Amino acid sequence: MSTPGYHGCYLRVDVTSGESQRIAIDESALRNYLGGSGLGVYLLLREGAATADPLSPEAPLAFVYSPLVGSPLTTSAKFAVVGRSPLTHRINDSLSSSHFAIAGKRTGCDALLVVGRAKEPSILIVDDGQARLEPAGALWGLDCPAAELQLRARLGADYQVAVIGPAGERQVRFATISHDGRHAGRGGSGAVLGAKNIKAIAVRGTQRTAWHSPAELVALAKQLSEKSFGPATAKYRELGTATNLLVFNRLGALPTRNFQQGTFAGAEALSPEQMVLGREKTRASCAACTIGCEHIYGLRTTGEKSAGVRMEYESLFALGPLCNVGDADTVLAAARRCDELGLDTISTGGTIAFAMECVERGLLDEPWLQFGDGPSLLRAIEAIGRREGLGNLAAEGSRRMALVIGKDAIAFAPQVKGLEIPGYEPRALQTMALGFAVGSRGADHNRSGAYEVDFSESTDRRRPGLEAAHAAVETEDRAALMDSLILCKFLRGVFVDFFAEASEMLNLVTGWNTTPAELRQTARRIVTAKKHFNVLAGWKPGEDTLPARFFNNPLPGDPAATMTPAGLQALIEAYNTARGWTSDGYPSVEQLSGLGEVVP
Amino acid sequence: MTVIVELFGVARQCAGVAKTEAQGARLGDVLVDLAGRFPRLAAECIDGSRLRHGYLANLNGARFIRDPATVVAPGDSLLILATDAGG
Repeated sequence: MSTPGYHGCYLRVDVTSGESQRIAIDESALRNYLGGSGLGVYLLLREGAATADPLSPEAPLAFVYSPLVGSPLTTSAKFAVVGRSPLTHRINDSLSSSHFAIAGKRTGCDALLVVGRAKEPSILIVDDGQARLEPAGALWGLDCPAAELQLRARLGADYQVAVIGPAGERQVRFATISHDGRHAGRGGSGAVLGAKNIKAIAVRGTQRTAWHSPAELVALAKQLSEKSFGPATAKYRELGTATNLLVFNRLGALPTRNFQQGTFAGAEALSPEQMVLGREKTRASCAACTIGCEHIYGLRTTGEKSAGVRMEYESLFALGPLCNVGDADTVLAAARRCDELGLDTISTGGTIAFAMECVERGLLDEPWLQFGDGPSLLRAIEAIGRREGLGNLAAEGSRRMALVIGKDAIAFAPQVKGLEIPGYEPRALQTMALGFAVGSRGADHNRSGAYEVDFSESTDRRRPGLEAAHAAVETEDRAALMDSLILCKFLRGVFVDFFAEASEMLNLVTGWNTTPAELRQTARRIVTAKKHFNVLAGWKPGEDTLPARFFNNPLPGDPAATMTPAGLQALIEAYNTARGWTSDGYPSVEQLSGLGEVVP
Repeated sequence: MTVIVELFGVARQCAGVAKTEAQGARLGDVLVDLAGRFPRLAAECIDGSRLRHGYLANLNGARFIRDPATVVAPGDSLLILATDAGG
């Protein structure tokens, strides 16, 4: 009898042979790593994945559910895709949402782990715990939405599917995996699936897990849903994440022209308040979500009837100001094309903006690619998704591209550990700069919420004290727990004491008697496990930094927004010390022994 | 004493303006003045002389403030925005 909330096993499928195995997971491992990102890194360590080439058959890719999936708790229908990133060669955990998580868990396992390489382009089907492969046939080559639609038409609407687009098929190093138009976006999980010759995964099942205290859980879920309608989520509900644009622009924190500026003259026209004028806009939400953060805009220029474009702040900044493009329809079209091809919008925009600056500096002979030129942005996206012309190099990401170009290009490639930097100008938000530098998967706004420290009275965002490092650790710990339970981070504002409330939820589902202190330790264990994975994968302290362009080079118009290598290094050491690691970032022997049997 | 108030996101939506002037020598005074003139803004963002949970102020694009006693100077720009900067 497995713990309520869990099946107590994962399904390991070798797509080379087509064989599958159900492998038990001890209750102690479930309690130590929970689910989602945490359980994913545990499974990867258990599989010895840290040294496998991410695009080799040996590299595992895990789709991990969580104890809360299938419960009535709002925003809990989420899953993590965990593997070694082909972009960074470090741990990668990208999250997505909705019915795939629910159907995947109903197949009777807590995770699906895929290894091998199919002999031909294939579909992996998991039907109530039984795995089989079918030829992808005409699905291979299709864009994400078409592939999802056709596969469900072929298999039946009771299947939920996750697919890659042409970018994943061509192993673009920042290709995504799409489910219902939502993407496990960062770090190139789509390329890993493409390297396995798997176009799509389809899941359905009937196996539900029990809840330990159903009546109390339903009551708690109702309370949480009610709170989710309050002011803490109003921003997401009313305007969506895109509303960050004008705030960041006003604060000089909006990355523009490949991080050469912190303000964008055309920001107002790209704001959600303006974009809604003269365009159709609808709202949508993931399964089991009461927030409804998705704001979907129609395109004005094409005249075609289309499904519209989900517009998030990160897509907007990366395909707009970062490339100096201010035409809203072009940015919407660019975001839609990224979604269709299966491309991470942040890495796509970052790599193209970098290439535009290389052209501007005479380092790249591609005169058609200019800052501010919408058609060239769209052309570059298409070229990347299909690995054609310059796109073949750009498909490697900005770091590899810079190393090929040479000269001083690496100094302004907008990446950390190979992952392109999200829409938070590091010089204007320097606690976030620390979060980027130490992030286990590279420059990352989802695993670190250090920008919250910058957006507070407690610190000077352009000159944070060392105490900011402790606050950054706290945001990272909370994210590790949210990404493992899994709950959407847009809920975080509704919790008064997240660790206590999370403990209550988990106990009602599982019957465990976890305490807030235990969950804090669990979060820290998960962060340390990711670090351990990275150390095994070759991490060295020198990786925890930012591109040289950010040092001793104030933001135009804001001389206070200056960073020095010594200042960042002091914050990094304070962060490492706060984690209980060595000052240069290695976990202690005692901490490693706390990871369990995954450390020999 | 007049300060310039810049509103962002939901606060702007509720007030119906992006920018306005308000009177007050301290943050709390300014919020009371705004609440009197913008009822929807008051309902969503302001509780007496304080910003509600989920909202924050920034002085001149530099320092984030919340304490109603924070002194503001004539001509200062006071930004009102959501606390959550997640994207």
